[in-house]
Amino acid sequence: MSVCRAQSLTLSGIDALPVEVEVDVSAGLPGFSIVGLPDAAVQEARERVKVAISNSGYKFPTKKVIVNLAPAHLRKEGPAFDLPIALAVLAVSGAVPAESLKDAGIVGELSLDGGLRGVRGALCMAEGARREGLQRLVLPVSNANEAASIGGVKVYGIRTLREAVDFLCGGNEVVQAVAEESDRSESVETAEDFADVAGQRFARRALEVAASGGHNVLMSGPPGSGKTMLARRLPGILPPLTLDESIQVTKVHSAAGEGKGALIHARPFRAPHHTISTSGLAGGGSNPRPGEVSLAHHGVLFLDEFPEFNRATLEVLRQPLEDGHVTISRVAATLSYPARVTLVCSMNPCPCGYAGDKRRACRCSAGQIERYQGRISGPLLDRIDLFVDVPRLTRQELRGGEAAEPSSVIRERVAAARETQTLRQGVPNSTLAGARLREACALRGDSEALFGAAIDRMGLTGRSHDRVLRVARTIADLDGAGEIAVEHLAEALNYRRSSFLDR
Amino acid sequence: MTGRERSAYLFLSLLQARTGTSFVARIGDIPVAEIPEMSAAELGHRVRMTERAARAFDDLRRDFDPTAIIDGLEQRGISAVTLADPEYPERLGAVPDPPPALFVDGELPASSYPAVALVGSRKASVSGLDAARSLGRALGERGAYVVSGLALGVDAAAHEGALEAGGPAVGVLGCGIDVVYPRSNRRLFERVRENGAVVSEYHLGEAPLAWRFPARNRIIAGLCDTVVVVEAAEKSGALITARHALDAGGDVWAVPGPPGLPECRGSNKLIADGAGCIWDVPEFVESVAPEPPETASTDEETSLSVSVPAGLPEGEAAALAGVGFEPTGVDAVAGRSGLRMQELLSALALLELKGYVHRDGSGAFVRRAGG
Repeated sequence: MSVCRAQSLTLSGIDALPVEVEVDVSAGLPGFSIVGLPDAAVQEARERVKVAISNSGYKFPTKKVIVNLAPAHLRKEGPAFDLPIALAVLAVSGAVPAESLKDAGIVGELSLDGGLRGVRGALCMAEGARREGLQRLVLPVSNANEAASIGGVKVYGIRTLREAVDFLCGGNEVVQAVAEESDRSESVETAEDFADVAGQRFARRALEVAASGGHNVLMSGPPGSGKTMLARRLPGILPPLTLDESIQVTKVHSAAGEGKGALIHARPFRAPHHTISTSGLAGGGSNPRPGEVSLAHHGVLFLDEFPEFNRATLEVLRQPLEDGHVTISRVAATLSYPARVTLVCSMNPCPCGYAGDKRRACRCSAGQIERYQGRISGPLLDRIDLFVDVPRLTRQELRGGEAAEPSSVIRERVAAARETQTLRQGVPNSTLAGARLREACALRGDSEALFGAAIDRMGLTGRSHDRVLRVARTIADLDGAGEIAVEHLAEALNYRRSSFLDR
Repeated sequence: MTGRERSAYLFLSLLQARTGTSFVARIGDIPVAEIPEMSAAELGHRVRMTERAARAFDDLRRDFDPTAIIDGLEQRGISAVTLADPEYPERLGAVPDPPPALFVDGELPASSYPAVALVGSRKASVSGLDAARSLGRALGERGAYVVSGLALGVDAAAHEGALEAGGPAVGVLGCGIDVVYPRSNRRLFERVRENGAVVSEYHLGEAPLAWRFPARNRIIAGLCDTVVVVEAAEKSGALITARHALDAGGDVWAVPGPPGLPECRGSNKLIADGAGCIWDVPEFVESVAPEPPETASTDEETSLSVSVPAGLPEGEAAALAGVGFEPTGVDAVAGRSGLRMQELLSALALLELKGYVHRDGSGAFVRRAGG
């Protein structure tokens, strides 16, 4: 038999699709070609496979070798096909039993001496293998733990091509990788705890509300007021990831080549620099990989110096903030990455940063401040529910006051409020709009009267009207109240945007 | 008054706008009407002129057509008031370099009504803006003209107050009166035009160049009997207006601010130097605009009541006691009042709605003095 097949997998978004590697060896002038829409890295597999086979002590056939990667319409990329190609070639020459390749998914990059290097997306591949009904997954040892963490498929981590051949021949015992027992409750505790934050009780309260309702936040304050420090602590008060969410988060990180070798239990926190490109934020590139917004999936995306971000770049956040995923369309394919994030932005109140600060005079003109604040994309602002001013604290304010609550206590209240929302409407309050908003946030009697007064006196627009209602709903949920009372609504009014040029 | 004199002043106005130097102050005993007929060289003999000014003079003289200019203005309902006209404001005519012509859309203050200039910082604090607004309102109720520069901050707040009370407002610009600057004041601009006048010494279309703003301050001072500085730092255009007013024999008043605050040093220093101190709005209004046009207004809103009012719920009273007259951050209020954060936040919003406190652009709260 001159055609042998090996099973492999390739990434599409964060899912792995099956790829069959067919190798045909026939008489003719010696040659080696790969067909089936391979990219440059796959083409280069020819040299690596050839050299790795000879260096591992096997013979590369001096015949015409054709490799086909099926299905042929799917674009293949990356070096992960090195190992399946090499094993299928060896199967043709009889060094590996062809039947042993039937139920095994194989991925791995070869080095010239026959050693194996890790690949991107091992967890996604393991999930794909399980879905495709493959019994075993053979991959580089450095990926084994990550792949094993999902379960449902036997994962074997190997070091060299020779080890792989021996294993498939049944000659040696390769230890099956098992998921490391990670203590979930412990990994939820992040190093950054709200107990370490001195003062800033207003901002702390605002972040608690944000976490409870899944609201996006914009913090405004002078440099050194602690905006970044506060934002870093937000993931720690979000409810723990469910197993399903953990797997999704790990898959995204795995697809981006940032897998940690085990399931991720802590909510991600991503803080891209403001010079980030559009594809860096949304994902993409010629070898598509998830962007920052997807890496922050189920966690917090923190945009520091918000007005400095390129406007066009930020526009790509509109879809994920609305739908919870990013779609990337390229000539070759359309991919989708999950991206359900809590957005936290921070900005200075003016270009010099000190407008409104008590101890340092602001150097900006009124026009400069207006331009600076106007630089923020309007459509994105519409998706932010909480606006928080974070002042610089004086020494007394930093040192005085009672001990702050630890994140774990806040997290319990947040989890309870989220539970209420799930029971009532199935989604966090931040996604309420239209009829569902009116239903969930019905006002009665004096709250209605208060709201009317607020609309007139504070000049609330239609959008900020909805925003205040959503936030009030969350505050009531935190309070365990069925209906929005006056105090809930009144507190919500504090989170509206304050304009520095109040006229 | 001959038409020749009018057009000569119009000519000088265009020349001054182009060169940025005052000729009216220099021509001395040369008959004004003859100037447009002289050549630059001729005039140069008697008045010191730079080369650039002489070139501008010749350029301008070549195609100067006063009738066309005045017709063009009239079509748009704009009048040109020159030094040669009896309507020219008397006090403004007495300053050392009066603008040769004013372009007016609306009506200039009549001398029978008091006119008060309210000027101050473009980036005023909430209490500054409050003061400007309530002064504007109180003056507007007496029918006094509120004159200001139509800039952001105090200027805008003063006009808003005056317009709310239905009083006349006059805006003096540092650019052509068809140029809206700053653009965010567009709506206010229209309302001032409808309820008073928009005035400038620059012809239509002239750009808001930086040097024109200090220059327009002498017009603000010249149109009024009284200048009030609401909030001014030590180097503020508002102080220039005050100086012009003193030079022209007008009154200067200032609103006191917290001692030592950089934003109020200029206005506080004026008080120290002898300017009138506005410690009470009705008292001030009584002294600058004594005769109310109709019934005396007994508006409680303008009185500066500052005690913690009785009848507030306990939480709100505690919160209000924690808010100072200087902007106070929420965390500081929390520390002073001893309330839990969520109680405090709802109390503050209720106080804000009831008009006791105001939240400024940096999220800090201030006690309000009156409406």
